[in-house]
Amino acid sequence: MSADPARVALDAELLAWMREEPWRDDEERFERLALALFAFQLAHCEPYARFCAGRGATPDRVASWREIPAVPTGAFKEMALRSFPAARERHVFRTSGTSAGRRGELHLDTLALYEASLLPTFRHFVLPELAPGERARIRVLAPAPAEAPDSSLSHLFGCAVDALGDSGSGFDVRGGALQLDALLPRLERAAAESVPMTICGTAFAFVHLLDALSALGAKLVLAPGSHVMETGGFKGRSRELPRAALYAAIEEGLGIPPERVVNQYGMTELATSFYDSVLAEPDRPRRKLGPPWARVRVIDPETGADAAPGTAGVISIVDLANTGSVLALETADLGRTVEDGFEVIGREPGAESRGCSIAADEMLAP
Amino acid sequence: MTSTGVDAALARAREAGHLLRARSAEAVQDALADVLDAWSARDSPWQKALVEALPDAAGFSPAVVREGLARGLAPFTGAALRAVVRSELDGGAATGFETTAVVLAGAIPMPTLLAVVAPLALRSPVLAKPSAHDPVTALLIARSLAERDPLLGACVEVVDVRGDDEASMAALCEADCVVANGSDAAVAALAARAQPLGAGASGARRFVGYGHRFSLALLGPGATRGESLLRAAEGLALDIALWDQLGCLSPVSVHAVDPEPRAADRVAEALADALARAETRWPRGRVDTAVAAAIARERAEAEMRAAAGRGPVAVHASSGTAWTVVREADAALRPAPLNRFARVHPAADVDACLDALRADAAHLAAVAIAGFGTAGAPLAAELAGLGASRVCAPGTLQSPPLAWHRGNVGVLAPLARWTDIEL
Repeated sequence: MSADPARVALDAELLAWMREEPWRDDEERFERLALALFAFQLAHCEPYARFCAGRGATPDRVASWREIPAVPTGAFKEMALRSFPAARERHVFRTSGTSAGRRGELHLDTLALYEASLLPTFRHFVLPELAPGERARIRVLAPAPAEAPDSSLSHLFGCAVDALGDSGSGFDVRGGALQLDALLPRLERAAAESVPMTICGTAFAFVHLLDALSALGAKLVLAPGSHVMETGGFKGRSRELPRAALYAAIEEGLGIPPERVVNQYGMTELATSFYDSVLAEPDRPRRKLGPPWARVRVIDPETGADAAPGTAGVISIVDLANTGSVLALETADLGRTVEDGFEVIGREPGAESRGCSIAADEMLAP
Repeated sequence: MTSTGVDAALARAREAGHLLRARSAEAVQDALADVLDAWSARDSPWQKALVEALPDAAGFSPAVVREGLARGLAPFTGAALRAVVRSELDGGAATGFETTAVVLAGAIPMPTLLAVVAPLALRSPVLAKPSAHDPVTALLIARSLAERDPLLGACVEVVDVRGDDEASMAALCEADCVVANGSDAAVAALAARAQPLGAGASGARRFVGYGHRFSLALLGPGATRGESLLRAAEGLALDIALWDQLGCLSPVSVHAVDPEPRAADRVAEALADALARAETRWPRGRVDTAVAAAIARERAEAEMRAAAGRGPVAVHASSGTAWTVVREADAALRPAPLNRFARVHPAADVDACLDALRADAAHLAAVAIAGFGTAGAPLAAELAGLGASRVCAPGTLQSPPLAWHRGNVGVLAPLARWTDIEL
C-alpha cells in the first residue's frame, strides 16, 4: 500500500524545512503547513475529525494554527490516533506507564520525519558548539533502543549517539540498572584526558549516579565543554530533588555548572522536543525553545484563549512533525511564556482517583 | 508557629485540661451544647462571621458558605450532642485523653467544629492545626467556646504550623491522642509519626485517621424519568454545588441504575440543567489554574472518547469551568477533578453498579439513593456492606446528622478510653 500523495507532499516539504541550516522562523510557512496538515488529518483520522467537528472546527472555519483543536495527551492512552491506515504502521512508542493505568501510544508509519525533527533539535540545543563533521562523547543514563524499543527517549538517545556520538559514546543502563562499574572509570578517564562529555539521561538516573559518587566520596571535574541533558521527573524511582538542587548536585559531583545543564521537555506523543536555551543562547534567560516547525501556546483553561504573557496556563503544542498522528496536543503541564519561549511550572494536580474531597486540601502542603 | 510554640501550646492545654477534668462531664457537655446551639441557630453570629471571612480565605462564594452553613449546621444542635453522648458513652466509664491533637483538612466548617467539640466533650483539651485552606474556622470556634466559658476557650489551642514543618508536626504528635484528616498519604505519614506507645502501656497514645473518601448517588428506575428525576437532579445539584464538591460528602458520580438505554442520558441532561440553575443561586468559588486545567482536560478527554465512538459519551458543561456533567458509556469510575464536575454512569441493574464500585468501596463515604421503591432498603444494606457509612436521599448529603458514623465509627467513642470497673 503506497502512502497518500498529499501526505507524501507534506512530509517532503517538512523534511526540507528540517534540513535547512540555519533554521528560519517562517510564520507564513508554519501557518500554511499547519492548516494543510490539519485538513489532511481531519480527512484521515476519524476520531480527531469528530472531535474537531464537535468543537465546530472544520478546515473552512479554522483560519489560523492557533484555532486548531488540541487533543489532550490522555486520549493517547485510550485510542490509537493514526492519520494513516493501520496496515501501514511501522512503529509504536509508549509512555512509561508509571502514572497509573494505561500507557499512551504514538503510532507511526515512518520514522523519517520523527528522526529528522529530533536530531537537528538535539544538536541545536544540546551540542551547539559541535563543528560540522565533529562528534561528541555522549554517555546515556538510559537503556539503549534495543533494550527499550518502545521508549521514545531511548530512540532519541539512540539517534543522537549514532549520528553525533564518537566511538566512546554509548549507554550506561542495562537491565534497568545503572552500570556504575563501567561508567565511573569512563568518566574518570574522560576527565583525565580532558575529553568533554555530554551526559544525557533521566533526572532519576542522575540522582542514582550522584548518590553513587557521593557514597564513594568521589567528585569529578569533567572537562570544560562538557554538558548534561536531563529530562523527566523522578517517578518514584529515586529520591526527589528540586531542579535547582539537582543542578547543584551535578555541579558538585561532575563539575558541570548549572549553565551547562539542559532540561529537555518532550513527550512520547510528540515527535519534537523542546530544550532549555542555556547552551544555544547563553546570554539570554533560561527558557524552553524548540525548532521552527513546532509552536507552543500557553492557554487559559477557563477561556481557551492565550493566557496573558507571564501568567500560568496549560501548555499546548502544535508540532508539524506529527504528520502521522495529530499535530495539536494539549499537555497536562502548566507553564508560562518567557520572552519567545516558555517555562514549565508543574503538572496539573492528579485528579485524585475516584474523587475526594479531602485530597483537595493537600494536608501536608504549607 | 515553631515546634517550641507547639510544645508551649501543648503544655498550656495540658494545664487547662487538669481544670477541665475537675468539672463534671455533664457540666462540660452542657456548655458545649450551648455553643453548638449558638452555631446552629438560624441567626447565628458565628455563621455570619464565617460568611464574611471564609470566602476570602477558602475561595468559596458567599452564597455557598451561607447555604452550606445553614444546611450543615442545622443538625448540629446541643440536643444532638447530648444524644450522641448518651448513645456512645452511657454504660461504661469513658474518659478522654489528657490531650488531643487534631490535624484538620479541607475548608468545610462542620467537620472542624465537630473535631474540636468531640474531644472537649470527653474533657480532653485540643490542639487544632488548621488546614492550609481554612485559617479562620478553628479560631472562630475557639472564640465561641471562650465566650461561653473561658476555661473551654483555654482548652483549645489553635496551632498555626506548616504541614511540612517536620519539627512542629512531631511536636504536635506528642499529644496523647492524634486525630488526622487528609489524603491517605498524609494520614499514613502522621500515623507513622504518632506511633502508639504500645498496647496496654500506661498513657498509650491513640491515632485516629480519616483519609480519602468520596460519595456518590444511585438513581433507580423510579428516579430516572419525569418529576421524580427533576427532584433528584435538583437535590444532587445542591449536594454538588455546596462546598463546590470539595467535601467527602460531595457526590462525584451519579449512577443511573436502569436497563432503559436512555436513562443515563436523561439523568445527565437533568443534572446539567440543575447545575446550571445552581450556578446562578450559589456560584462556584474561585479555582486556580491547575484545577481549571484539570477540568478542561477531563472534558476534552471525554470529547475524544465520544469522537472515537467509545459509546454514548456526552459532555454537558458551562462555558467556563463552573460546572460539568459527563455522561459516561459504562459503569466504571473515572478520575474526578471535583469543583462541580460530575459523571453520570449507566448500569443495567444494581449488581452491575455495585460490581463497578467494589474496587473503590474502601473509600466510600455516603451514597444518596432514590427511585428504588421497596428495593431501597436491601440496597442500603448492600451499600453498607460495601463500606458506605451513610445512605440518604439526594439533597441531604451535605447535612449529615451530628451522630453520623463517619468512617464507620462513632463520633466520641474513638476518642475515648474505657475502663470497666467491676466493684
